[in-house]
This record gives sequence, C-alpha cells and structure tokens, in this order.
Amino acid sequence: MANIGKVTQVIGSTLDAQFAEDQLPAIYNALKVDITRKVLGDVEQEVLWCEVAQHLGGGRVRAVALGSTDGLARGSQIVDTGSPVTVPVGEAVLGRVFNLVGETIDDRGPSTATERRPIHRVPPALDTLSSKTEIFETGIKVVDLLCPLVRGGKAGLFGGAGVGKTVIIQELIARLARFHSGYSCFAGVGERTREGNDLWLEMQEAKIGDTGKSVIDQTVMIFGQMNEPPGARLRVALSALTMAEYFRDQTGADTLLFVDNIFRFSQAGSEVSALLGRMPSAVGYQPTLGTEMGELQERITSTAHGAVTSIQAIYVPADDYTDPAPATAFTHLDSTVNLERSIADKGIYPAVDPMASSSRLLAPEYVGERHYKVARRVQQILQRYKDLQDIISILGIDELSEDDKIVVSRARKIERFLSQPFFVAEQFTGFKGIYCSREDTIRSFEELCDGKWDHLPEGAFMYVGAIEEAAEKAKKLAA
Amino acid sequence: MANRRVLVKRRKAVRNIRKITRTMQLIATARFQATFNRAVATRPYSQKLGELVADLSRASGGADHPLLRKNPNAPKTALLVITSNRGLCGGYNSGVLRKAVAHVDAQGKPVDVHMVGKKGVGYFRFLGRPLAERITHLADEVRYAEIEPLAGALMAQFVRGEIGAVHVAYMAFESASRQVPTLLQLLPLAPPPAEAKSAAGSSAGAGTQAVEYEFSPEPEKLLAELLPASVRMRLFQCFVEATVSEHVARMVAMKAATDAAGDMIKSLTRRYNRARQTHITMELLDIIGGASALG
Repeated sequence: MANIGKVTQVIGSTLDAQFAEDQLPAIYNALKVDITRKVLGDVEQEVLWCEVAQHLGGGRVRAVALGSTDGLARGSQIVDTGSPVTVPVGEAVLGRVFNLVGETIDDRGPSTATERRPIHRVPPALDTLSSKTEIFETGIKVVDLLCPLVRGGKAGLFGGAGVGKTVIIQELIARLARFHSGYSCFAGVGERTREGNDLWLEMQEAKIGDTGKSVIDQTVMIFGQMNEPPGARLRVALSALTMAEYFRDQTGADTLLFVDNIFRFSQAGSEVSALLGRMPSAVGYQPTLGTEMGELQERITSTAHGAVTSIQAIYVPADDYTDPAPATAFTHLDSTVNLERSIADKGIYPAVDPMASSSRLLAPEYVGERHYKVARRVQQILQRYKDLQDIISILGIDELSEDDKIVVSRARKIERFLSQPFFVAEQFTGFKGIYCSREDTIRSFEELCDGKWDHLPEGAFMYVGAIEEAAEKAKKLAA
Repeated sequence: MANRRVLVKRRKAVRNIRKITRTMQLIATARFQATFNRAVATRPYSQKLGELVADLSRASGGADHPLLRKNPNAPKTALLVITSNRGLCGGYNSGVLRKAVAHVDAQGKPVDVHMVGKKGVGYFRFLGRPLAERITHLADEVRYAEIEPLAGALMAQFVRGEIGAVHVAYMAFESASRQVPTLLQLLPLAPPPAEAKSAAGSSAGAGTQAVEYEFSPEPEKLLAELLPASVRMRLFQCFVEATVSEHVARMVAMKAATDAAGDMIKSLTRRYNRARQTHITMELLDIIGGASALG
C-alpha cells in the first residue's frame, strides 16, 4: 500500500503536503502528484515530481517541485515513492537525452536501461580517492600553458555574460570528447535550451577519432534549462553526476563531466531558499550556499576505480568575482580559467585572463621546470605591461625606458598570441580550429619571451597555432 | 567591493601626476618663448653668413679650402647627435635617434658618434653601440663659446683627413607646430639647406647673377677666416633650434599628458562612484531582505 498524502499548500515552486504522522516521507524522498490540467477544453495529464526538503511537524512536509506547479490544486493526492529521485544508469543511457528525473526527452522512446540509481548519494570516502596528478592536454595554448587541466580533476570556466564560456565548454567537448576513449556526460543547467539542442545535433555529426562512431554514442546529456522551474535546475546536476558516477564506479572508464552552468544551480537554490523559509544571507543568497555547493562538488571526484574529469562553466554575475556564488565554487576547483571582458572587447578569443587564471598543476613538480618557468615569465611580462598601462595612457609610450618598451611590445604580442582559432567557432572566425601541442606551446612562448620573434608585427600573432605559423602569417601580411 | 580603495588610490596618484605634468607644461611654455626668441634672433645672422660664404667661395673660383674638400676615402665619418638631457618630451629624442641610427647603419664604414644629451647616451648604451664622445654638460641655454671647442675639434679631425664627413642629427624647428628630425651635413661644408636650390644651381655654374666682390685681403685668406666661423655658426644654429624643438615637444607632450590624466581622473571618479553606489545598494538590499524575511 502506497503512502498517500494530500497537498495542503502551494507556494510558487514549493508545496506542503500532509501525511500520516507515522508515515512521514524521509527528507529527499521523491513525491509524485498527478496533475490534471484543463486548457481550453483539452485535458492534459502530467506527473509532477517533488522532493521533500523539510519536515514541518504534525505530519506535514515541505517539498520542492521538480517541475511546473501549474494546475496543481490543494487537496490533490500525493504519493511518497519511498526513495529519492532515481535516474537510469549504465551503458544503455549513452546516446540519449534525459531530464532530471530520468525521463528521455529526445523523442526516441523510453530508455532501455535496467538499472536506476538515486541522485542523492554520499561522496566517496577519503581513502578511496585517487591521488594521481596528470595533465590533461587540451591543445588550447592559453589553457595548457597557464591553467593546465588535471586528468580526473575539476576545472572551472568563470566569466560574465557573453564572454564565451559556453563556446569554450563546447570547444572542450569537441576537443576532448573527440579523442577521449571513455564516456562523457553533459549537464545543461539553466542555460539556453537552444544551446542544448545545437550541441546535441553537433555531437551526432562529430566522429570520435577515426572509429566512425558519433560522439553522441559515448555521451549522455541531461538538461534542466532556463525554462524549467528552480527545483529542476537545482537537481539536474546531481542527475548527471549520478550517471557519471556509475561509469566511474562500474566500468572504471575515464569519464568526462561537463556542466554548463554551475551558477544556475546556486541561483536555483536561492530561488527556493526563501520559499522554504530560510533567511537570505549575503547578497540575497541562501544561507546554505556553501553546503549545497560542497555536497555537489565533493561527489565530482576521481577514485581508485576510475576518474571523473569535470569541466564546469560558472557565470559571474556583473563580472564581480567576489560574488558569493562564484566565490564558493572557486575553492573546489583544481584549475580555474577566468574569462575577462576587457580581453574579449579587444577581439581576442578565448578571452582567458592570463593573470587571474591558475591551476593547482602549475608547479615545477607537475608540469616540469621548463613549463613552469615559461608560464611565470609570460605572466611577469604581462604584469609589467599592466603596471605600465597608466603611464602609457598618460605620458605616452615614448616616455618608457628602452627595456620597458621591449616589455610592452612583447606583452602585446603575447596577448595576441594567446588567442587561438576554435573548431566550434569556425563559422564565426573564418579560421580552421588549431590543436597546438603542449610542447609547441611552451617552446613558442619561450622563444617569444626570449625575443626571438620581436621582428614580427603584432597582427601576425592573432589566431595562429605554434609560433612558426605567426611567422608565416607575417609573411602573408607583408605581401 | 574591495576595489574602491584601489580606485581612490589610483585617482590620487593620477592627480599628482597631472599636477606635475601641468607644471612642466607651463615651464616648457615659458622656456619655449625664451629659446624661440633666441633662435629667431640668430637665424638672419647665420643665414647671411652662409650666403656670404657661398658667394665668396664661388667668387674665389671654387676655392680649394680644406673644409670644402670632399674626402670619400677617409676611414670613417662622424655624426653629432643632439638629444635632450631630460625626458618627458614625447617623441623628441626617439625621432632624432631613429634618424641617427638609420644614418649610422647606412654609412657602410665606422661612424664616430658624438652624443649630446643624456637621453641619447642612454639609448646607445642600451643598444650596445659605441660612442666616441658623450656631451652631457650643455645646459638649456647653449652658449656660442661652448660650441666653439666642439666645432673646432671636429674641424681639426676633418682637416687632418681622419673623418670624411661630419653630420648633425637634430630636431629642426620649422614652426611651433612642426619640428622635423633632420640630418645636416656639416662638413664638407655645403650650402645651407634653405638656399639649397639656388646654391646648387650656382655651384654647377649655371648662369646665376653672382654678386661681384672686390676682395681685400685675398679671398683665400678671407675664406680661411670665414669658413670655420660659418661651420661654428651653423652648428650653433642646430643647437639653438634643437633646444626650441625640445621645449615645444615637451610643451605638447605635457599638454597631452595633462589632458590624458584629466580624462583618466574623470573615468576613475566615475568608476569609483559607481562602485560606491553599487556597494550601498547591495548593503541596503541585504538589510531590507533580511528584515523582510524576519518580519
């Protein structure tokens, strides 16, 4: 006999339900309501999933709706499923698109997966964590040089609105998933639905290496985009993570987890937080911001069984990096790629801020002495240029000492050399995407710092791969 | 936002810079006036002297004075570069130095570079190029007496045949809004650039109405006196003009700097105000939000 209660109150995307005092559904349990909606005489049937968030006493529970509460009426019957929300897992989910409750949304019939797992799980224990540290080469110069990704680690792409977070994450999918032997999971959290659709179509076309298989065959996508209520955006990342965890634990394969955009997860949390009766904290965020982020991030980790490499886009509201939401995400990451508006304004893409981006890996013992030194030199030159900027803008470049003039000219070249054509942006830039190996990247920047290429004009450094291509471009420009 | 303090600090720094650049602009303006008058005053004299020498040398029938003799086989040449002792004068020094370096590179034989001004000395040290002489003691108001030994030494070297030519790289002053980095051939003595056309015509012997002179003493004797004087005068004129150009350049550069600093202060003030307002709004929102959640 199912445990059935009654909806007693609906407040936006939260609702209260009355159950028998001795049959209270546990926190995080999934509840189900059948909604019957009458729209202009047509009758629509829908199942609304909810998740218990609070026990209010007296047999009452407060739950977060994971879908739209439109048409929900007080007194409706609500069923306790006895377990948290579950999603299908296993190889059968590959190639499919799901929503957060594990229903397929790609119009190709229900999933054939037999196994399901709850989306709430405890993070792996301390002693099972993997301690390997290995570079994950992306072929993007600025990333490989200044904020190398960690295989089995977490990388964050921070950036304000419209500086290219999504493009970079899609580029990374194109670069990594294409040459990646394991599985990939993509979680679309509160971003544009159109982007998810584009990505899905793109993945069907893209082939893995030369196996002839589509990228989508090794990928599962889970969406809870902007149009979904906050409850959905709050949980969709967990659903995706659960699928990724299964691949890690059961198959031992290297798994990639892409999340676009983690900020929406925090935002959704703050949307329901006040409705759940919590007092807003700094800048109106939920007081539990750090806890929520921690619970999610701690599960994204590599264990002795297998590695999960995650790449997360993180929106920075109003370009303010001190905002609590990006600031909380910051601490969990192995490498952070900061995107900077002023660089995007110069037309340099990817607009990675070479000074603010960093990686745990950027130390001599991981990347090697040479890489480390080159990266630091590049940063020093750029820092010096930044320091001189005020003087230049007031007094003009002629007042600099000769040494500084050289620093400035090299810094401007380095700035431009950090740009790179992307595979996914081919139709915008008109340049073919370029993969630049780490070895080439280091050598190129080393020579640039040494002044071996001082004679080339600045324009030659835009959108090229290794340094020799800049020389070629200079010839073309001169011709 | 913690960057408000940074903004205030930067604004303060820019304000101080503006104070300095504005003062320097005023000083440069005053100096420019003084040196300008001097340059204008010496100009007719040096011009006339040049004409006289040209006439004389022609009248004496292509006199063969050592200072007029071309000597393309000399082992090296000399270049005198006039730069400033102080900076903050925009593109003044770099313009002259670029000209000088280009000249040295084009010679194809060693060039003795006599550098006037600390800025030029520093630049050549940076380039790692040798200097034959460093002259950094000349003050703003160059005296004729200070130029004399300089010109004398160069002439002596030239006459001895050690150097085949002497050039001067300096910033020629055309008007208050136009100064041109110029390379002037000092030795062997050529007609001054202003009269280049007519003089070139006459030296080729094409029928120009030469003034008839009666010489006393002999033209050779006269030339022996006049030619060195003309060289000294011409060099002096270069120095005087360079000084004017320097002050103009500084005046313009400092005006631009003051304006740029002003713009920067404006934008920093705007950014500061915005940051401050954002901060206040945010705190208010926090308080109101908290209060209403409690209520």
